[in-house]
Amino acid sequence: MTSTTSTTPLSGTGRHRTRTAPAGRTSRRRIRKDLLRSRIAAWSAVLVIGAFGMLPVYWLLATALSSPEQTFQFPPKLVPTDITFDNFTALAENEQLISYLVNSLIVASITAVLSVVVATYMGYSFSKFRYRGRRSLMHLVLASQMFPQALLLVTLYAVFSSFGLLNTYTALVLSFTTFTMPLCVWMLKGIFDTIPDALLEAASIDGASRWRTLHSVVAPLAAPGMIAAGLFAFVRGWNDFIFAVTLADKEKQTLPPGLVSTYIGEFQTAWPELMAASLVVSVPVVIAFMFLQRYLVGGMTAGSVKS
Amino acid sequence: MTTSGISRRGALRMFGIGALGVAGAGVLGACAPSGASSSSNGGDTKSKDFDFTSWSLNEEAAKPAIEKIIKAWEKAEGSRIRAVSYPYNEYLSQLTLKLGGGETTGAVHLDIAWLAAVAQMGKLADLSAVALKGGYTNVALDSGMYDGKQYGLPWNTGSIGVIANSKLLAKAGIKKHPTTIEEFEDALRELKGLGGGIVPYAAATKVAQLKDIFPWMQTFGCTLLEGNKVTIGDDASVDAVTWYKKLHDEKLIAADVDRFDARALFGQGKAAFYDDAIIGKGVTAAQSKDKTLADAMQPMKRPVLRAGDKPQALLWGGVIAIVKGKGQDAATQFALHATSDRATTTQYFTERALPPSTTAGLSDPKVAEDTFTTQWTEKITDTATGSPFWQYAQNAQIEEAVAKQVQAVLVGKEKPKDAMRKAAEEVTDLIKR
Repeated sequence: MTSTTSTTPLSGTGRHRTRTAPAGRTSRRRIRKDLLRSRIAAWSAVLVIGAFGMLPVYWLLATALSSPEQTFQFPPKLVPTDITFDNFTALAENEQLISYLVNSLIVASITAVLSVVVATYMGYSFSKFRYRGRRSLMHLVLASQMFPQALLLVTLYAVFSSFGLLNTYTALVLSFTTFTMPLCVWMLKGIFDTIPDALLEAASIDGASRWRTLHSVVAPLAAPGMIAAGLFAFVRGWNDFIFAVTLADKEKQTLPPGLVSTYIGEFQTAWPELMAASLVVSVPVVIAFMFLQRYLVGGMTAGSVKS
Repeated sequence: MTTSGISRRGALRMFGIGALGVAGAGVLGACAPSGASSSSNGGDTKSKDFDFTSWSLNEEAAKPAIEKIIKAWEKAEGSRIRAVSYPYNEYLSQLTLKLGGGETTGAVHLDIAWLAAVAQMGKLADLSAVALKGGYTNVALDSGMYDGKQYGLPWNTGSIGVIANSKLLAKAGIKKHPTTIEEFEDALRELKGLGGGIVPYAAATKVAQLKDIFPWMQTFGCTLLEGNKVTIGDDASVDAVTWYKKLHDEKLIAADVDRFDARALFGQGKAAFYDDAIIGKGVTAAQSKDKTLADAMQPMKRPVLRAGDKPQALLWGGVIAIVKGKGQDAATQFALHATSDRATTTQYFTERALPPSTTAGLSDPKVAEDTFTTQWTEKITDTATGSPFWQYAQNAQIEEAVAKQVQAVLVGKEKPKDAMRKAAEEVTDLIKR
């Protein structure tokens, strides 16, 4: 901040007296006011955007706690008055939903691990090795993201059907990996790019093999990015509906199609139960984010700026 | 160190690879299922075990009743039925994919609106000879026919029509159901006069259910389709949409209403008329706080343009079709039993309030004593017809194309004549595909 004091000569004495000018005080006050105003504006914006973002979550909770009669009340009430926990207790008694939840956990976890493992090797290869066709391969990986999902689905369905893989966890994991892996590869490539080659050369001089260098030197440094990529793959696998509903039968189906099958019918949608179930099943993802969010931000942005 | 950025050349290369990939995937997709699809038309047709695919097997309200039928059959015949289900909104696309891939065998439950699209795949058995043994009503048989062949045995035959709230009508001093458009409009104005935020007619105004406009277009004299010629856009259809817009502007119908909203409004006594299938009585009454509402619900003939005209209604219901191949014979007998055995259909009616499709089933005392069902059959289903667009696999897109134009009229973005001309063009394009 710039000084607002001024130095003026005292008449006849030749001495100088330093004093704060009234204009300076006004200026300081104005700055403080401006600062306060901008803070209030910033907080207001944060609150408004936060409220906007949280409204669906609030509505989810409010509906989950409402009776069916209140849910269909017209015009709808913003705050439920007829609160009930029946929708949550009904959920706990539904064994089929527990089975969908277990399937989701298995499939999304394996998808995340598989995506990260494969993407680590591919990303490392793309980043640190030079070979013919490398750039084309990199673009091929990314180009697979351009396929319309419906086209991929039909093709995968046909292939899995031929190999007898339909209605298996393998089909779900492999299909989810088709859309999680390309972005994981590019994300990790960007992170490996930021690791100086000199570090790899130093490891090599110390006698480490390429394998050892990747696992003992590079991987620990890229860990936040790998966790972020894994989280991304987990969430994509957790949320997928269309692949899961098409490639798996009831025994192997995951939560999104399971919830739709259970609560959305031809004539009616059991909104309160559906909302209660949605709230409960989002808990694992929320927990995962709570523990890993510090890696997520670092991992997503790593590689975006080069040193 | 390499850069992870994408150059123009790189982007072009990527598009090239993408295009090749798409083409390759298409080839792969075209080739791969051939091996699997053989199972659809092959397999042991005499097998006692088969699949039964139905969206209702997911639904709490329907599942126990259907499982009872399945278990009884398995016990009596010593066979095993594998129950398969997909959510209703995904059902047609999933069934189409799995039928094409040879994964679906046995009996399949179909909405009558989907029958044509599925029959066109050439995987369904012709049940014409079997249907003669069922004692089905003519309207029910028609609902399972496509291209002159009986592809579906009718399970439940009903219609989508107008339901009235007799308590509200009485409150507004309306002593009998309006029979003409003019009387209907007068009744709506009387009801509006009651105040209290009443929506006299909770008509569909959201795209999702705006297909409800079709019976009104037919009421005004539009045939929708003649041969392959789309007649939407003629004076009758324009008159119908203009009339709908008038109701909207006078607040006799409300904006942003779909079937769920209509049921909610009707259930709270804030709507006097709305369109629904026969099952709407149970669904709407169940979500209403007013436990006497069910008694006040009455099926009503859709008002006609001129006295003496035939009231319009859309046929609605489900059929069971049989996939050629494994378990075909046993699945056919199961379908015949489920749809026409008197005791089975009566029990199913008792549990689900879905009307049987046979003459004997309809005359069973348990069905005949249900006034709402018998009145519905006489007043609405009797003159109901299927949509001429059901024969096209693009039926859903056709309905949406018209619905969007009607909505554009309601919100004032389009004039009825222009909107219907555009709708006709879009539907004609869709039909040609």
